[in-house]
Amino acid sequence: MTPAHSTPRRRLLALVPAAALALTLTACSSSGGGEATPADPAKALDTPTTLTFWTWAPNMDKTVALFEQKYPKIKVDIVNAGQSATEYTKLQTAVKAGSGGPDVAQVEYFALPELALSKRLVNLKDYGAAALESKFAASAWSQVAIADGVYAIPQDTGPMAMFYNKKILDELKIEPPKTWAEFEAAAIKIKASDPKRFITSIDPGDAGGVDSLIWQAGGRPFQQTDSTSVTVKLQDAGAKKTADLWTSLINRKLVDTAPGWTNEWWQSMGSGQYAMWIIGAWAPGNIASTIPDTAADWRAAPIPQWSASENVSSENGGSSVAVTSSSKNKAAAAAFAIWLNSDPQAVRSLSANGLFPATNELLKDPAFLDQPVQGLGGQKANQVFADSSAAVAKGWQYLPYQLYANSVFKDTVGPNISTDINTGLSAWQKRITDYGNQQGFKVTAP
Amino acid sequence: MSANTTSGRAGRGRRRSSTALTVAMGLMLVYALLPLLWLLMSSTKDTGSLTTGFGLWFGRDFHFFDNIHAVLTYDHGIYLRWFANTLLYAVVGAGGAAFISTAAGYALAKYRFRGRTALAAIVLGAVAIPGTALAVPTYLLFSKVGIVDTPWAVLLPSLASPFGVYLMRVYALGAVPDSMLEAARIDGSGELRTFFTISLRLLAPGFVTVLLFSLVATWNNYFLPLIVLSDPQWFPLTVGLNQWNSLATGAAGSGATTTGFYPLVITGSVLAIVPLVVAFLFLQRFWQSGLAAGSVKE
Repeated sequence: MTPAHSTPRRRLLALVPAAALALTLTACSSSGGGEATPADPAKALDTPTTLTFWTWAPNMDKTVALFEQKYPKIKVDIVNAGQSATEYTKLQTAVKAGSGGPDVAQVEYFALPELALSKRLVNLKDYGAAALESKFAASAWSQVAIADGVYAIPQDTGPMAMFYNKKILDELKIEPPKTWAEFEAAAIKIKASDPKRFITSIDPGDAGGVDSLIWQAGGRPFQQTDSTSVTVKLQDAGAKKTADLWTSLINRKLVDTAPGWTNEWWQSMGSGQYAMWIIGAWAPGNIASTIPDTAADWRAAPIPQWSASENVSSENGGSSVAVTSSSKNKAAAAAFAIWLNSDPQAVRSLSANGLFPATNELLKDPAFLDQPVQGLGGQKANQVFADSSAAVAKGWQYLPYQLYANSVFKDTVGPNISTDINTGLSAWQKRITDYGNQQGFKVTAP
Repeated sequence: MSANTTSGRAGRGRRRSSTALTVAMGLMLVYALLPLLWLLMSSTKDTGSLTTGFGLWFGRDFHFFDNIHAVLTYDHGIYLRWFANTLLYAVVGAGGAAFISTAAGYALAKYRFRGRTALAAIVLGAVAIPGTALAVPTYLLFSKVGIVDTPWAVLLPSLASPFGVYLMRVYALGAVPDSMLEAARIDGSGELRTFFTISLRLLAPGFVTVLLFSLVATWNNYFLPLIVLSDPQWFPLTVGLNQWNSLATGAAGSGATTTGFYPLVITGSVLAIVPLVVAFLFLQRFWQSGLAAGSVKE
């Protein structure tokens, strides 16, 4: 193939995603009859509208500005109504009251089933979202496709990775561990070099962090069989394996149990007291902005495996964008949510603001994969993250009342984190079961 | 530690110093001032030196003014908006609460009417109910009326101060002599005129006390605005700073934050306590005289 021959073709290929979007946006537009159906996105985007968008992601205004340029009839009001649980509480009340809620809202994946099942969100299948499935990473799409509907558009993801302080590992001549057994050996060496050092820390208040580790170990503690039946198995093989490993590491003082994200915790990260951080791919931005002095010492590697022949990963965090059922402008809101998270220009803007992408187009883009990552000493780490994204294990689900479950994690698993995590998981399971039964779910817990 | 019994020559001077007490008070002072010192020192650092080095001393460079600039300019100067909101809530809310409390307390103390004792008892009972417990019912009420997410939702509840009413009633009992009211009536002054021209002046120290109380309460009010407001345009500083704090401690899993929020939170907190410190320094003597109000009947 001569270059001359391939350029127009490449140009044509580049147009495919845009064309696909145009198709989804015009798929159900009327053939010039002028009678707009309520679900006519093209028409909706050409009608003067103000949309309220609840999000707490910093710098979202930059990406939204691109949308407003392209669709000048639509004005988007960005409101930070609080982060995570704070926002969901307000969303529940406002949507139920039918006023004061947003048109579009940022919702983390773990909260989606709850908000979708309580009829707070619109099924975006009615607005052509089903056609978008192939554009998104399977791991992201599976988290928004709930009970035969599509309740949000994935915005960013957090495939798990192992971030490590290269300086410490080099000093101790440790290779980045590829399995959890090697991880344990490395932990022993790191502790032996200085009793104040830990290989990493585990947050006794963060359900999401422990969930991600259980997910990667093959545990599937939360399963919903139908709209009212739930199974909770926080002592299945994967959960037990995870709890045994970390309990043993914590008991030997190889792993610290400090709450994450506090000033002290970042001090430990910055001063080399923690050699690693096993977390989602969104972390480099935080490392670069919070510990700028030592950020260049950090690198990313794949998460350690349970057996050397495997390549299994999981997700941590990440958000989607949903349309509320109280919105008066559902068609425009849906079109906005779709454009914001799938238009090639928009996803690049989101990525530049530190959000790890959810679209295949960007995850496979050589320019993205070869981009030196700020905060990891210029390492081309996106390759590591993209591989991790492709290796995310299937079949993970969240409870239809995950918000409550996460809120009692610190009172159940938290106090047992340095004695036996299995005891904590059992206590957590009991609280989840009792609450679910009170709320009218049929909870099966072995 | 040796017990310091002073020899029996009392009356030498009024000061009997006790080493143990002085040391204990000194420790208390250190305990109270250390966090403040940490806050002040931290407000001169950038993110990098916040996570390295010693907390109770300056960082490598002096970033205090950069931090202030960052606080005032972040998100199109939303911090100043929060500051203005807090001033509005505190001045209007506390001023209104102090005036209403004064009028109500005076009426309860000086007039005889049906249900007076019952009313006084209800006020006393209301003192015992924490404001936090009322926040959710308040929200539901306001959402019915449709004033959620407006400044009224914060202002209206802060006007009601049962403790202020109780305090003013006690104060008015002692501060406004009945004979003076009689004299005013005989001279033909109406009740309102008497209240505004005579009683209010006598009640001034009590009024300032309640004003200070309410000022601190509204300035630090957090839970109610958190519940009734979702639009950051109307946040007071407490809620706004907490929002920054949650962005600093983990926009976790919801996309990385590329802004160093820690210095914003810390420097924003320093600026937020300045007006309170100033108010205390200026109104301290009223505060002290007010605290003893009603303890001695003169």
